[in-house]
Amino acid sequence: MAKTILIVDDSESIREVVSFTLENEGYKVLIGVDGKDALKFLNGQVIDLIITDLHMPEMDGIELIKNVRKNTNYERIPILFLTTESQTAKKMEAKDAGATGWIIKPFVPAKLIAAINKVIR
Amino acid sequence: MDSFKKKFIEEASELIDKLEVTLLELEKNPDDPTQIQQVFRVMHTLKGNSSMFGFDLIDKFTHNLETVYDLIRNNQLKLTPQVLNVTLSSVDHLKAMLDEENYDDPDFLTTHNGLIAKINQLINPDKPMEEKQRVQINENKSEEVIHSYYVFFEPRKDIFKNGTNPLYLLDELTSLGKAKVFAHFNRVPLYDQINPEQCYVYWEAIIATENEVNSINDVFIFVESDSKLEIQKVADINLLADEKFVEEITQLANVQKDIGFVTVQRLANQSIARHNKSKSEVVKRERIGYKDKSTASIRVSSDKLDGLMNLVSELVTTQARLSLFAEENSVPGLAPIVENVQKLSRQLRDIAFSIVLIPIENLFGRFQRLVRDLSQELKKDVEFITEGAETELDKTIIENLSDPLMHIIRNSLDHGIEESAIRLAQGKSSKGKIQLKAFYSGANVIIQISDDGAGIDTEIIREKAIQKGIITAERKLSKKEILDLIFLPGFSTAKKVTDVSGRGVGMDVVKKKISEIRGEVEVDSEVGEGTTITIKLPLTLSIIDGLLVSINKSAYVIPLAAIDKIYAVEKSKIYTSFNNLITLDGKQIPFFSLRKEFNLSASDEELEQVVVVNFEDNSVGMVVDFVIGEYQAVLKPLGKHYKTHDIFSGATILGDGTVALVMDTNKIIKDFAKIQVINVK
Repeated sequence: MAKTILIVDDSESIREVVSFTLENEGYKVLIGVDGKDALKFLNGQVIDLIITDLHMPEMDGIELIKNVRKNTNYERIPILFLTTESQTAKKMEAKDAGATGWIIKPFVPAKLIAAINKVIR
Repeated sequence: MDSFKKKFIEEASELIDKLEVTLLELEKNPDDPTQIQQVFRVMHTLKGNSSMFGFDLIDKFTHNLETVYDLIRNNQLKLTPQVLNVTLSSVDHLKAMLDEENYDDPDFLTTHNGLIAKINQLINPDKPMEEKQRVQINENKSEEVIHSYYVFFEPRKDIFKNGTNPLYLLDELTSLGKAKVFAHFNRVPLYDQINPEQCYVYWEAIIATENEVNSINDVFIFVESDSKLEIQKVADINLLADEKFVEEITQLANVQKDIGFVTVQRLANQSIARHNKSKSEVVKRERIGYKDKSTASIRVSSDKLDGLMNLVSELVTTQARLSLFAEENSVPGLAPIVENVQKLSRQLRDIAFSIVLIPIENLFGRFQRLVRDLSQELKKDVEFITEGAETELDKTIIENLSDPLMHIIRNSLDHGIEESAIRLAQGKSSKGKIQLKAFYSGANVIIQISDDGAGIDTEIIREKAIQKGIITAERKLSKKEILDLIFLPGFSTAKKVTDVSGRGVGMDVVKKKISEIRGEVEVDSEVGEGTTITIKLPLTLSIIDGLLVSINKSAYVIPLAAIDKIYAVEKSKIYTSFNNLITLDGKQIPFFSLRKEFNLSASDEELEQVVVVNFEDNSVGMVVDFVIGEYQAVLKPLGKHYKTHDIFSGATILGDGTVALVMDTNKIIKDFAKIQVINVK
């Protein structure tokens, strides 16, 4: 069965690129525009991976990660976050919040897939 | 290949196909601006896409092509048929470029550089092409070196908590190269104390990869901050290729809780030492081998070898007698001794023979090169085929054969094979063919050189012979007789003298050299179809595998190599046949009754044996009374009085002391067929 990946980002172009790439790879894609919007998907349905941006209005990525880890249904799912090379402090913060890994922006599709392959199969 | 590249390739193939169609349209209407625009647009898209997906070669290549069509679009360059030709070959080349496997092909490179040069020529007709623009793909591809690393990976106990599955990481690690991973379970607590949400396992791995150490670090990038991770290079060789190392380390991992870097390094060093030693041994062995070669051969005078061969053949004959004697007189304990003697004498015979016989292969190899070089020099396209390179001949014969054969092949190339244009005009393939074939025929080795060239015009030879005063104008000669004229001294038929052949040394020298080694040369030629030169070399003293048969109580040996099948046939079928044809296995086969040919009366047996032998490309049956069995015949030359009967290549002494004649099947069939033709007339 196709794995389901939840993409959370406030930038439409990023959502487009990521979802296009993932759908091309055969994944089922859910889209949230920010952290708060994303939480509505944690309704019991199976989600295999969350990819989230860190800077978002309403609820940012770190807050979302913490929320997911608190939810007993989803506390073990891998979470990747999007970040830039320079944000080392932010990276550690997200990691401590319970993120599994990260994807450095800007990225080419192959890089994205490689990162995803590290956490789900 | 990832799916993006696949997608790109699909897309690009479509684009290239489209380009091809447009170009062909353009060829019909070279001035159509919309088509030119279309070509430009397709190239532009192709260029853009290929750079995005890492096909730099296509990117650069189409960039130049695009420039050409940009110039045409702006009327700075005219779309000539030449431009179209280059573009169309480029389109073909672009298709090849989509397959990255082609990049290592030298032909591909030649085409690539050639096309770039042509395209540049179109853009800048006055400027010679810059060397820089040549692409040499393989230049920087240094040899990949495999390093071996030791990896220790112990994830934090609560690693599952943030959604990490360490097994995926190990999967990724092993995908980097060859890897041996040991999982350690010694920290797993007892069942009742286990917390299934924690990770107790840790891993050690030896990985041999050509990737850099960074790629190993990359595997653990998400977990390095909360795991114990150690990555150390232990060797610059592939340790996992060393079976002993793998065995040792596996054993250690099984008994010890963990191996540890220090132990791995120690084992690795041992393996490196072994590796270096074996490497130097190979070098040493090569040196010794070279030395051995110089001392392992001794020169022996051929007289001694002849003496040895003679004794061996006597031994084989005597051994056959011994076998027969043992069969007839059952003495207890004699049979095993006889068998042993038989085995030993066979081995001795094989060795004695291998001393003087060498395969013709080496000689053939030399000609391969000769033909290649000559055909380039003469600008002729020639395919050189050799057959029967395993045929063995006396070493001295092979040495003396080299020069005559070289001369014949030169002649074939120079005078025989025509230039491509002429060949095409005559409906032949543009590529000429020269075939060098060696095979056994009875007790002879035949070497045949045939070409599919112009052939020898008997009229020209005749005229020349008359002109040179060799024959008189009134003399009538058969075709074969005329062809034989070329073996006369001072006969060169080539209209112009070239470097390659026709230096005045002609076929007469060839004939002389071959008769020096007691061989015969024959030439056969068909104008427009080609020439075949046949050299027949004797094997006067040799042992052949034969089939012993009897006709009217006399024994004969038919060389086994020539035999296809043996059938038992009712006598009536043979003696009532009008046209000497018999149907065997649904095939009509011409046959000779040897009794009839030897002027003997018909046999009393109801069944006769038809031995079917290969004759040139056909099968011919030979009817004999009985087939006795396989026999290894020591060939002895026939005495002076029987020399003229060349249907027999020799005689052999059987175990009981009687003499059996060895048939030369080719000669026999030719001979009998001739008589028949005369009879019919």
